[in-house]
This record gives sequence, structure tokens and C-alpha cells, in this order.
Amino acid sequence: MNEENPSVETYIVVFVALLILAALTTGIAYINLGTLNTVVALAIAAVKMSLVGLFFMHLWYSRGLTRIVVLAGFFWLALMVLFTLADVFSRSWIKPPGP
Amino acid sequence: MALEITGIAIPSLICIFLFLWGASLFFAAAQSPQGAMAIFVVGKQWMWHLQHPEGPREINQLHIPVDVPVRLTMTSEDVIHDFFVPAFRMKMDVVPGRYTSEWFEATKPGSYHLFCAQYCGTLHSGMTGTIEVMSLTGYAQWLRENSTAESMAQMGLQLFSRLGCDTCHLSDGTGAGPALQGRFGKQVTLRDGQNRVMDGAYVRQSILDPASLPLPNYRPVMPTFRGQVSEEHILQLIAYIKSLASGERTQAP
Amino acid sequence: MFFIGGAAAVMMRLHLIEPAGALVQPETYNKLFTMHGVVMVFFFLIPSIPATLGNFLVPMMIGARDLAFPRLNLLSWYVYITGAAFTLYALISGGVDTGWTFYTPLSSHYLNTHVITTALGVFITGFSSILTGLNFIVTIHKMRAPGMTWKRMPLFLWSIYAASVIFVLATPVLAIALFLVGLERIFHVGIFDPAIGGDPVLFQHLFWFYSHPAVYIMILPGMGVVSELVTCFSKKKPFGYIFIAYSSLAIAVFSFLVWGHHLFVSSQSVYAGFISSALSFALAIPSAIKVFNWTATLYKGSISYQAPMLYALGFIGLFTMGGLTGLFLASLATGVHLHDTYFVIAHFHYIMVGGAVMAYLGGIHFWWPKITGRLYHDGWARFAALVIFVGFNLTFFPQYMLGYLGMPRRYAVYPAEFQVLDVMSSAGASHTRRRLLDSIRLSSLVHPLWTRSRIESLERERPGMGDAIAASHR
Repeated sequence: MNEENPSVETYIVVFVALLILAALTTGIAYINLGTLNTVVALAIAAVKMSLVGLFFMHLWYSRGLTRIVVLAGFFWLALMVLFTLADVFSRSWIKPPGP
Repeated sequence: MALEITGIAIPSLICIFLFLWGASLFFAAAQSPQGAMAIFVVGKQWMWHLQHPEGPREINQLHIPVDVPVRLTMTSEDVIHDFFVPAFRMKMDVVPGRYTSEWFEATKPGSYHLFCAQYCGTLHSGMTGTIEVMSLTGYAQWLRENSTAESMAQMGLQLFSRLGCDTCHLSDGTGAGPALQGRFGKQVTLRDGQNRVMDGAYVRQSILDPASLPLPNYRPVMPTFRGQVSEEHILQLIAYIKSLASGERTQAP
Repeated sequence: MFFIGGAAAVMMRLHLIEPAGALVQPETYNKLFTMHGVVMVFFFLIPSIPATLGNFLVPMMIGARDLAFPRLNLLSWYVYITGAAFTLYALISGGVDTGWTFYTPLSSHYLNTHVITTALGVFITGFSSILTGLNFIVTIHKMRAPGMTWKRMPLFLWSIYAASVIFVLATPVLAIALFLVGLERIFHVGIFDPAIGGDPVLFQHLFWFYSHPAVYIMILPGMGVVSELVTCFSKKKPFGYIFIAYSSLAIAVFSFLVWGHHLFVSSQSVYAGFISSALSFALAIPSAIKVFNWTATLYKGSISYQAPMLYALGFIGLFTMGGLTGLFLASLATGVHLHDTYFVIAHFHYIMVGGAVMAYLGGIHFWWPKITGRLYHDGWARFAALVIFVGFNLTFFPQYMLGYLGMPRRYAVYPAEFQVLDVMSSAGASHTRRRLLDSIRLSSLVHPLWTRSRIESLERERPGMGDAIAASHR
């Protein structure tokens, strides 16, 4: 294993960052941004997820196969979302005359 | 090597042919021809409610004329059902909360099985019926014998006043809600700038969840009618609102 | 678990002898087919080959002492038992009648049976699958003996590897989908039920994102077993090794892209249906490659018809039939008609029973001496293999015709015109079931009281077993 372990300080910094982001999500929920609501919430969630993955799950320190495995996971998640959304968005392309 | 190539090429060609053939039929089946006869279907644990636009209602039985394309507009009161007529090679899920449709044209008079093909609970296998395909004259006679006092649109009109819709949706546009004359099938711009076509699904959504469709220039005061109207009622209301658009006047009988 | 699922199946077939239902109330019938589906899919077919043959053979075939994480492996067994316990509890305490597909909003809102318990059982067992898959992947990546390169691995390992990839990537999605069903049932969070703002078709997307690849979890290890058996008993090298190996991976990857073909009539967009149909046809290619290569391996081989080989040959025939009928279902226009009819039932039983179970029995017979040190009675085993083949076809072939005529699945009562075919199918079912039990009892479990010396002669007879297995064993 070619991994160096992150220091305790790193863990604490990341943890605090996660807490701040969580607070940010809660705070932003009170402000109405229109369509941006979902975008902002998802963006923050993505940042949090990357932090957890990179530091708590040591991806920052891993190489090679581990990274490929993780990327494959995301790739498959993307496939799932993509195909499901493809259905949702193309449903109205053929519109039978309504009831 | 030549053997292998032929061995690969021939099945591949057959596959591609089958795929394209199947796909073209599928697209044809998805689009009903213009002027198809409309039938409205509501699936409910464990029976089929069907209604003709002229008014007659049927349960687990559908009378249709032969050689006329028939288009079903379907929705479900509870779980997912599936309207399956094996003899017509047609099948479509009946999904709660949305309208699905299928069409067919019976070519031979007779009586055909109707099945629910999507497992829907205890008496799923009892949710069957028959499609009675009749000659054109036979159907006209059946329609006369079973005629109701009101057409679907007229039933909708009655609901419209009974539920108090007409207290806000005044026809001159001065009410708390927009006038509905001539609106069906037209584009609606919502408060957030989104454009929607006012179709059956839109009308259904605005009856059940009006808050999700805020209009500019109107205060969102309309209450939800969820629980007060059944899917059949909604179909009748839609028929009424649709009749307002086409200019024909629906009057109480 | 197999016996419970099997018993449910026999009950159903007996029930369907009469059009009006001969045995049970519709409600009980619904519980029977649900239990049959849940038990067979999640507790038999998915874990069968990986958990028995996989755990035994993977380390041996790559020359490792054990799997990479032996304790994780043991944990996955306990997890499986826990999950099975939940499901059995649901069965004993009244059953569940959602169908194994748990379609919403029926499962999330309308039923009062033990949906949560069953879903929890399946959820928990999912972890067992993930752990096993993970274990195999890591073992195959990291613990191959020196000289055991990827291209030299036995074909069984390629297929187990491909199945493991699906285990790891797909199972979480099922877990989440079932978790959401539970959430909606208990807390009324609107996810799938349109009455509270959900989308029922979303569940079908999530469910089939797992469950379509899951059928390849079931069949891929079976394909691996058959690749080994065919090679061994025709005494030839596998024809087109690299194609068989890569087609396993191709199946694993493609299997994630075709789930839309379960939704042709679900009010899914017609364009999404078009794409999934095209991809489903594409998925036929790697499967066809395998069948062609097995046939080519048999070609001019010196074939010995021992019991495992009979199972393997049965597999090839039945899998081909199951696969080709799959094309009718993948094709959009015929798919619409055949969807949710007995045609589908026949199709996937040809793949699952005719494929996965035949391969499992073949594999168990083949490696039985390796596992226990004793040999089964070959005559009985051959007899059982033939009887299962006949009984299986008698059961499921009429169902193709039933489906084409339009008999919908999951029907406790049916129109009288379908009776002849239904009775044929029921007769076949009771026949198969009895013989299947016979075969397992007689050939494998009761009769293997033969001496060790037979094993040595066996290894002379079967060069295939000599390769990696014997090397690691020495």
C-alpha cells in the first residue's frame, strides 16, 4: 500500500469545513433563490462528498487502482442518472393529444 | 474466417432488421391517428371504469365499433394497473398521477379479453373484462340504448358549478381566477417564466395542486380539490374545459 | 431456501390446474408467488454459485490460500443468514404480496402485509452480496499466484469477476430503492407515490437498474461453470478463450444500460424505450459469442457424456432458447404484447432455471469430489440430469405458448381456454420438482460414499481439473 496517512490536524480541518458547509446549507434554505435553490444545495453536497471521499476515505493519498475503482463507481452513478433523466426529459417529445 | 464472418453477419443483420421493424411499429403505436374515437379509462383496485365522451359509463366492459381507431386516455385512482387486450396486441400501464394512452382499431366484431397486466394487489386476477366489438350500426344502437342525460362535458359543467369553480373562474375574466374560455390547448406562462401548454395534465395538476402552478396577475388563493374529486370527475372537468376552448357551448341539459 | 421457494412454486402450479384456482385464495396465491420470487432471486440464485463454488474455487484457481478477506467472507455469511431470517419471519408471520418487484405505490402505500420486513431482509442480504463481490474482486486483483496472469485465468474466474463488478456497483441501488420504499411507508415521504408528490416510475428505474444486472449476476457464474465443463469434457482448449473472457466483461458493462426494456409499457418515453431496445439487442452479441464459442469448443472434441457434461449441454440448449426468446421481448413491438405475460415467465425461467440452476447442479457435480473427497453415483446423476431437462421443458415450454396467447402473469384465476397448457405446465412442474429433489439427494448427498481412490482415477479422466486446481492443491 503506497498510502501515507493524513495527520490528525487534516481530519479536524476537514471536519470543521464539513460543519461549516452543513451550516451553509441550512442557512441557504431560508433564502429563496428560485431555480438556483436546488443547484446550490447540490453543489454544496458535492463539495462535502468530495471532502469526505478525498480525506476521510484517503482518496487524496491513493493512486492507481483505487482511483479507477472510485471513478468507475461515479461513472455508473452517472449512467443511472443519465438514463433515468433521458426518460424524464424525452417523455414529452411525442405528445399524444391530451385528454 | 469467411465462415466466421458470415456466421456473425447473418445473425447481426437479422437482429438489426428485427429491431428496426419492432421500433417502427412501436412508434406507430405511440401516436394515435387523427380523429380517433376517444374513450376514458380509470383503473381502480380491482375494476375498470370506462366512459364514452357521449356520456355512457361502463364497468369492466367496453363497447366499441369495428374498423374505427379508438384511443384510450387512462389514469389510475390508486396503484399501477395495465390495460391489456391480447387480441389487439396492445398493452399500456395505467399510472396514478398521470395520463397514459394507447390506441387500437378492431378489425373483427366479437368479444375479446381485457386483462390487467400489472400486478395490482389481491384481486389482480379478477380485474378482467371484455371488449365488445360491434358493427357500426350495432354500436350506434347500443349508444342510443345506453345514452345518458348528459355528455362528459355536461357532467363537467355540473361539477364546475357544484364545486364552486365558477365563483372565481368567471367567464368575463373579472374573477379571482382566470377565465377558462378558449384557453385549453394554448400556452400558459407561469409566474417564474416557465411556459406550459394547458392540456389535460395541466388542468389535472391545477385542480389537485394549484399552488404548484402560480400565475402572474393572480393571487394563489385556489384551494386544492384533492380528496373532493375522483379521477373520473377530473376527466369530466377536463372535457368541460376543453369544450370551452373549441367554442361549442356546453349547456346544462 | 431453495426448498421453500420450490415448494411455493409447486403450490402455484397445482393451484393453476383449475381455471378458477384449485387450491388457495388469490391472496395466498399472491403471497406464494412473491415468496417464490423473493426467495429464489435474492436468497438462492444470486448467492448460489458465488457463495458455494465461488468461495471454494476462486482462491484455488488463482493459487491463493484463501480469499483476501476471510473474516469479511464469514461476515457476509452471517449477514446473509440475518437477512434470510427477516424474510422467513415475514413468511411465517403472514407473508407479503407485493411481487418480488415491490412496485410502488402498491408496496409503499396500499398493502398491509409484511413489506418492511421482507424489504429489510433483502436490504440486509444485499450487504452480503456486496461484501462477497468486493472480496472476489480484491482477491482476483491482488492475490494471483506468480505466473497466473489475467489471460491465463480459468474462464470461471473471468465470469465471477464480471459478476462481482455487478454485485458491487448495482446492489447499493436496490438497497436505496427499498430503503426509500420503507421511508415512504413509515414516514410518508413523497418519493414514489404520486398522491404525495412522488413518481411511481422512478421506482421502476431504480429497481431495474439493479435487477436487470442482477440476472447477469445469476447467469454469469453459470456461464463460467459451463465454460469449464465444456472445455473439460470435450478434452479441448476453449475455443476463443479471450472472446469468452471479454464477453463476460462486456455483459457486465452492457447489463447496466438496458434496464429500460422492463419499462416499455410503463409510460416511459418512447425514445428511452427505443434506446434500451437497441442496447438490449446489442447485449445479445456477447451472449451469442459465448454460445458460439462453446459450440466451437465441442466441435470435433472427444466428448464424454458424464453427468456434469449433461447439465452443461442442457445449459447451452436452454440458455440459447431463453436468449433467443429474449430478442422477442427486447424488440419493441412484440415486447409490448408479451410484456408481463407468461412468455416473460418462460423466458426468464429458461435463463434462470435452465441456465443458472443447470450450471449450478453441473458445477456441484463436477467439483463435488474436490469439495468432499467423495464421488457421487454417476448413473443416478446422469438419470437425474436427463429427467430434469425433460421436466423443465415440459413445465416451461407451454408457458411460452400461454404468454403468446395472452395469459398475464401473477393471475390466480384465468380464463378457461388456457387450461390445457396450464395443466401441462403443472404436470411438468411437479415432475421436475420431484426429480430435482431426487437428483440432489441421490446423486450428491446420499450416494457419494465412494472411496478416495476413485478421485485419482477421476483426475486422470478429466484433464481440465488437473490445471490450476490441482496445481494449487499440491
